[in-house]
Amino acid sequence: MNFSQINLLLLSGFGKTCSLFFLTLIFALPLGLVVMFGLICPFKPLRWLTRTVVWIIRGTPLMLQLFVVFYVPGMLFHTNLFVGTSGRFQAALVAFVINYSCYFAEIYRGGVESIPRGQYEAAQVLGLSRVETFFRVVLMQVVKRILAPMSNEVITLVKDTSLARVIAVAEIFYINEVRILSKAIIWPLFYIGVFFLLFVGALTLLFNYAEKKLSYYKL
Amino acid sequence: MAILEVKNLRKHFGGNEVLKGVDFSLEKGNVLSIIGSSGGGKTTLLRCLNFLEKADEGDIFVNGECVYHAEAGMKKPVVSPKAQRSMGLVFQQFNLFPQYSVMDNLMLAPKLQAKRLPADARESAQEILARAEALLARVGLSEKANAYPCELSGGQCQRVAIARALMLQPEILCFDEPTSALDPELTGEVLRVIRSLKNSERTMIIVTHEMEFARNVSDKVIFMADGVIEEMGTPEEIFDHPKSEKTAAFLSHRAF
Ligand SMILES: Nc1ncnc2c1ncn2[C@@H]1O[C@H](COP(=O)(O)OP(=O)(O)OP(=O)(O)O)[C@@H](O)[C@H]1O
Ligand SMILES: [Mg+2]
Repeated sequence: MNFSQINLLLLSGFGKTCSLFFLTLIFALPLGLVVMFGLICPFKPLRWLTRTVVWIIRGTPLMLQLFVVFYVPGMLFHTNLFVGTSGRFQAALVAFVINYSCYFAEIYRGGVESIPRGQYEAAQVLGLSRVETFFRVVLMQVVKRILAPMSNEVITLVKDTSLARVIAVAEIFYINEVRILSKAIIWPLFYIGVFFLLFVGALTLLFNYAEKKLSYYKL
Repeated sequence: MAILEVKNLRKHFGGNEVLKGVDFSLEKGNVLSIIGSSGGGKTTLLRCLNFLEKADEGDIFVNGECVYHAEAGMKKPVVSPKAQRSMGLVFQQFNLFPQYSVMDNLMLAPKLQAKRLPADARESAQEILARAEALLARVGLSEKANAYPCELSGGQCQRVAIARALMLQPEILCFDEPTSALDPELTGEVLRVIRSLKNSERTMIIVTHEMEFARNVSDKVIFMADGVIEEMGTPEEIFDHPKSEKTAAFLSHRAF
């Protein structure tokens, strides 16, 4: 295998890693909000159901969840929900989205509950509806409050994508192990390390920028 | 006819009876001060009047119309849709929205309110802006229109909060210890603003520990103790010739 072949292989792995990362964010960020509403719902059965789900998801390894999502539907319904290469990727995406929604939901909940009651009361006295209060008064304050824990979680996601290899999603580590390392070529490991450093570095800059953007007011 | 009539208002928290039947009425354009020692139920009364707490029993009439009705055995109180809009409240802790500029704090609620009306009946953005500017000038903060709450002093925050409440033109504007969170030197500017708001059209209820202010600005004073109105009357009656011993004792503890 020559240098450019290896590069192409690695690149396709990076591609998979990146799309898993971004697609997970795109779905999990809003789904986390839905889960959060379940967590703080005044209707008790729904609240307990959501809490139980979050407990299970946060209490079991993501790796186990990947296996469950990939294999269990097939075992139960005797049809393959996730077929072929794209099926493996979809299964991984579903597992990641469920897992990260639960973590995001807990972060959102912490943010929402840290907003002083006075803000809600001021909004009520000013005649704002509940929906208006959430979107016009609470949300931006929550965003500011959760930026730091969210940056942690998002950075963890970058590295968690490598778990997708356990159901043979051709992300960077899988490609490297199966197609490159198996031929006793070591150097791409460093290459991969640098990729993750740059990726996380870019995210860090992005979060710093967002923090600056929101620093025009204090809570 | 009284603009506000409160009948037999009762409220308890668990086993703690905080309001034990409060009755009073208020004429349009009058200023009512509520004084009393800590824990007497003044804040709870104001919160019930603004529907932040639901009174267990009692009626609230605004302009002769019942806006709140609750009685024992009812599952939920009857609250008229007009209820919230007829009352305004200024908090001890201001509760400005930190992410909005002073101007946006003033305009947020009126803009949302306008949106709910049909297009031809709603107040235009320019009209809202003009009213906000006028009110900011009124509380002496025109030059702070684009500042954020974190850039203001406590006294300035409270003046913004007052302007914000006035934007909605409530029938009755309530203040819960508007100067208690302020340094003594900032108290004066807020009290001056409140005093300047007094006119024949504006009805206000002020819970305060500033006795001198209460005496000068009020048309009517209520002394509350242990969840009941212990004494009610003109400032002269309450401050100079208190009938109740509790009132006299409370006032004598205050050096003024
Ligand atoms: N949300 C609540 N839950 C339980 N008890 C409450 C609640 N709010 C007030 N109370 C109780 O009600 C009583 C009256 O409180 P309130 O705040 O109305 O008094 P206050 O006259 O405003 O006192 P202060 O002058 O200190 O502000 C107190 O005993 C207080 O502990
Ligand atoms: Mg109080």
